[in-house]
This record gives sequence, structure tokens and C-alpha cells, in this order.
Amino acid sequence: VTSRLARLALMLALQFGSQAGAEPLPDVPPYAGVYQPQGVDEIGLWHEYDESERALAASTLVINDEKLNSYVKRVMCDVIGEERCKSVRIYIMREPTTNANMSANGTMRVFSGLLLRMHNESELASVLGHEFGHFERRHGLERFKAARSGTDILSWSAVLVGVAATYGTYGVYRNSYSNHRNLQLTIYGDLYRYQRNQEREADSLGIAYLNHSRLKPQSASLFWQNIMAEAEASARARGLKKPEFNKIAFLASHPPDGERAAYLSALASPDGAARDDGAARYRAALAAWMPTFLEDQIKLNDFGGSAPLCPWRALPGARQSARSGQCSGFLRHGDRSRCRDGRCRDGRCLSRPRARAREDRSAVRRAEGAAHLSRSEAGRL
Amino acid sequence: MIAPIVTRCRLSRSVGKVKEGALLKFNMVRLAVAAGLCSVMSAPSIAQERSAVRQGFALPAKSHKKILLFRPSVSVGAQSTGGMFEPNAEWTEQAKTNIQSALDRLQARLGNEVTLAPEGYGDDARALQEHMALFAAVSQSVIQYQFFAGNRLPTKKWDNKAAVFDWSLGDSVAALPGAKDADYGLFIYNKDAYGSTGRKMLQLFAAMGGISVTSGVHQGYAGLIDLKTGDLLWLNADFQIGGDVREKDGSDKRVRQLLEDFPGSDIGKAETP
Repeated sequence: VTSRLARLALMLALQFGSQAGAEPLPDVPPYAGVYQPQGVDEIGLWHEYDESERALAASTLVINDEKLNSYVKRVMCDVIGEERCKSVRIYIMREPTTNANMSANGTMRVFSGLLLRMHNESELASVLGHEFGHFERRHGLERFKAARSGTDILSWSAVLVGVAATYGTYGVYRNSYSNHRNLQLTIYGDLYRYQRNQEREADSLGIAYLNHSRLKPQSASLFWQNIMAEAEASARARGLKKPEFNKIAFLASHPPDGERAAYLSALASPDGAARDDGAARYRAALAAWMPTFLEDQIKLNDFGGSAPLCPWRALPGARQSARSGQCSGFLRHGDRSRCRDGRCRDGRCLSRPRARAREDRSAVRRAEGAAHLSRSEAGRL
Repeated sequence: MIAPIVTRCRLSRSVGKVKEGALLKFNMVRLAVAAGLCSVMSAPSIAQERSAVRQGFALPAKSHKKILLFRPSVSVGAQSTGGMFEPNAEWTEQAKTNIQSALDRLQARLGNEVTLAPEGYGDDARALQEHMALFAAVSQSVIQYQFFAGNRLPTKKWDNKAAVFDWSLGDSVAALPGAKDADYGLFIYNKDAYGSTGRKMLQLFAAMGGISVTSGVHQGYAGLIDLKTGDLLWLNADFQIGGDVREKDGSDKRVRQLLEDFPGSDIGKAETP
């Protein structure tokens, strides 16, 4: 992984190095304070989202641990500033996918799968800042309006084609129908491109907040590099071909991971490279939850993707099964039954006899996904 | 995105009869466009009212049972030209107030006492939320797979013939806040999208070309559950329901239509819109 990361970094430097020199780093725009919805559309959207937030607040998926919630909230307030922070309510969801989202009314959802993958406070802050960027720029409302205009045009076009079918000749009809199909592609293509550009804008705001914070902005790009490494390991363990990280699919809602990693690295302020990334604080704050989040991840049966996540997230004594690539031994206190060799102390597995450990190690080397683990362990942690 | 109902999705019904290649192709394209319209704007194709009562359940008139009304779901907005739902906060708030006062006025005629379910906190709120979602899922299943023919699950086909109406939320409903002191629970759902000017113009223009585009979505359903067993006792679903919920009189009519088949009530059939 280290060599792959190095290659990627080199590529990024080549691709964006010249641009970074020419283009000024994004700045944090002035903020007008807690904003209120304006106009029928925005007020209507907020109203709908308020209603769904009501349901969300009572959802059993929401993690109500006060300590964890206040930690995540504090990281966000630190990076975007107290004034902006007042507009947002964070809900941490127990859901093992790498995601977070923001509704137009300031409801932010952070999935536990995201927290599992973060290495430090800076990475977390980069994602929280990105999500807030959507709110600050009113992206939800803008996207709603764009979708409405697009579908308005398409429905007129569809009706006109229908009318042509009734009144026109076959030739007229055939032409108008093919025009309609082209228009459909154009409009849908435009809507998705519009959405991807919103994501780019949110990324640029997110990195601007991070540049202005006391955290290390270089982590934003590292996060995406790790996500790519994980996707690669996952594909390899499944025997799939290497994922493509720079292609834009027609219906892609986000820019490709490779592109994001590249521009985030270029936009990170070089002065920030020496700052603390808050890894120790992050580990301490998440320690109580990591085994649970990891357990949820392992239930996804994504052996290649899960393997790199094993090491420090599990409690000391955690091991990875050579055959399946799964972690084992991440125990809660008193959970002795999970120890396969039954040697437990204080709820933790003790190391297994040396012979078996050696056998395991050679098997680990054979398993491709797990081979990846040993290197990433050394490289990252 | 709530879609409008295009009633004439069978634009090219005559395709099978046409022999000439070109014309057949022409019709195929017409069919494709029609299908496109239908898929872009699809909804339950046969939108009709249906209601059902669980076999063996009867609520005699004036039996003075206690009915717990769970927070009605009300969402009102406009329908864009392309058929998107455009939420409108002001209309929604008006409709909520109107529907509540219509319920207050009509409850005497239900022959039973209707009280609003108390707000829950903590675990109570979570349990309530889960059961609201469960009711939504179960009632959607009834509407999708039992009420509307053509969509029926194989297991529900026989049920329909034999008039079996057997659905339940499970007996965990008994632990919901307020359930101890009541006999039945009532759920109400309303979704209204009023056709915008653009939508109406599209409809008018399309009509000239012989294409039917509907304007406006008006869906309502109401369900009654047994608060001891969780069984679904009665469900009334109407996907072209009448009554303008933004107005006081309209809301009266809406609530009457929602509750017209309510067991033991003397509300009776409301006049059709």
C-alpha cells in the first residue's frame, strides 16, 4: 500500500502541482449567521425535513451516547467555527457504511461506518466540513430547483412527441422522438454533473475550513486514499478486477475518489502539514465504540475490505482469522465465549501458543487481502 | 418524488392488430413514448378506493370504545409541471389544523371517543416511531398487494377471493404510550400535491394531442388496529380522494371520506367529488 500511495502521490503532484501553484487556496467565505429558510420552496423543504428529523430523532439506529455525540459535535464546531455550528444537529447512526449526509434544514447524519474508518480528528473534520459546506451553499434547495426545471422541460418534450404521434407524419414523429431521447440524455447528464459540481464545491469549502483550523488539512486527501485502498483490497479478495478511481460514470452523484484525493491534496495548505492531526484524541474518544462498529463491519462479509480495519480498532488481543480474513477476539468485558482457545483475562484473549501463531502467519501471507493488512498496519499505524 | 397518475397508459393498444412494418414501428415508438410518460409519471395504475374489515370484527354503533389517534401524517404541496412534489409548509400547517378540527367535529358521529395519543419520550418515543413506520409498511403492503388487483401476491389472491383480511402489527402495540387506557388505535395518512399552473397547462395541451396527463395527487388512507393484539381491523385507502384540505369545508369532506366505512359509525358515504 505504501508504494501504491507513493505512486498516487506522485501522480497527484504531477497532475495538480502546477495548478496548485497558480490557483489560490479556497478561502472561508463570510458567514451571515444562522440563516432561516426563504421563499416557498425552501420553507417547504425545511418543513418536510423537520418532519423527517422528528422521526430520525426517535430512530433506534441513532446512537444516543452523550460522550460520543458531544465529541463529534466539538470536532465540527472547532473546524467550522461556533457561529456556523449553531445551525447543525448531528445524528450518529449505527450503520456500517462509509457515509454522512446533510439535509437542507441542518440535519446531519454521520454513519458509524465512517467513524470506523477515520484515523484521526482531521479526517473526521474534513468530512464534517464538507457536509456543512452543502448547508452553507444551500445545495439541497438548488438541486431541487435544478431537478424541477429539468423534469419540466422533459415532460413538455414528451407531450410534444405524443402530439406529433397523433398529428404528424411518421417522419416528423421519428425525428421528434429521437430529439426527445437526446434531450433526456442531456438533461439527466446535466443534473448529475450539477450534483458532482456541488460535491466539488463542498469539498473545497471543507478543505478551506480545515486550512483555517488547528488541524492538519493533509488528512482530507489521505482519507480518500485509504478509501481507495480499501476498495482495492475488497475487490482483490473477491477476485474482481481493480476498481477504476478516475472514471466518471454517467449517473455518478459524486466525483470519482481519485479526483477528490488529488484536488484535496492540492488544496491543503502547506503550512498545515506540521499541525497535529488529533489521532490520539480520536482514538481515545472512539475507544468504547470501535469494537461495536468493527463487529457491524465484519457482518458485511467483506473480508478484503474489513481486514485493513482490524488492528487498533479492536481491543488488544484481537486477531485476524487466516482462513476468512475476519477479525476475532474483539471482546467486551466478560465475553469469554468468544475466545477460541479459552484463554481469557479481563475479557481479553491472551495470545495463542506459538506454533499455532506461526501457522496462522504463513496462512495470512497466502491470503491476499490479509497480506495487505500487514503492510498497511506498518504503514499507517 | 411523488408522481402523477397517467390514466391512459394504453396509448397504442392497437399495436397487435397493425400489419404493416412501418406503421407497426411507428406504433411501437408511440408505445415507447407512452411507456416513458407512464414510467416517468407512474403511480398505482388503477387507483380506486378500497376498504376492508377484518373478518369477525364488528364495532356496534355507540359502543363507546376508546380510540387512540396517532399523530396524523399530513403533507401538502404542489405538483410541478414534470410531476415533482413541491412541499408547501403553509398549506401543510393549514391542513393539519383543519383535519384536526374536522376530526373533533366528526368524532361524535363515530360513536366512540377519540383521543390524541400522548407524546412519548426516550424509549417510548422510539417504540412509537417504530410502530408508526411498521403501520406504514403494513398498510402499504395491504394497498399494494391485496387491495389492487393485478399486483396481488399469490398468497393474497386466495385471501381476496375468500374475503380474508388478515394482517397484524404484533402485540407489542400494547406497550405503546397511552395504549393501556384505550381499545383501538387509529392511523391517518394524507398526501396532497395540487397541480401547478404549469402542470395544468401541460394537461390541457396534452389533451389536445389525445394524451391524458393527470394533474394533482390526492392520497389518503386510514387504519384501525386492535391495541391488545395489534391486528389490523379496518383499512380504507383512497388514491383519488376528494376534499381540499387547505380549506375548512374541504377538510370536513376529506375526513368524512377517510372514515366513511369506519365500523360502527353513521358517517355514511360522503357525496363523491
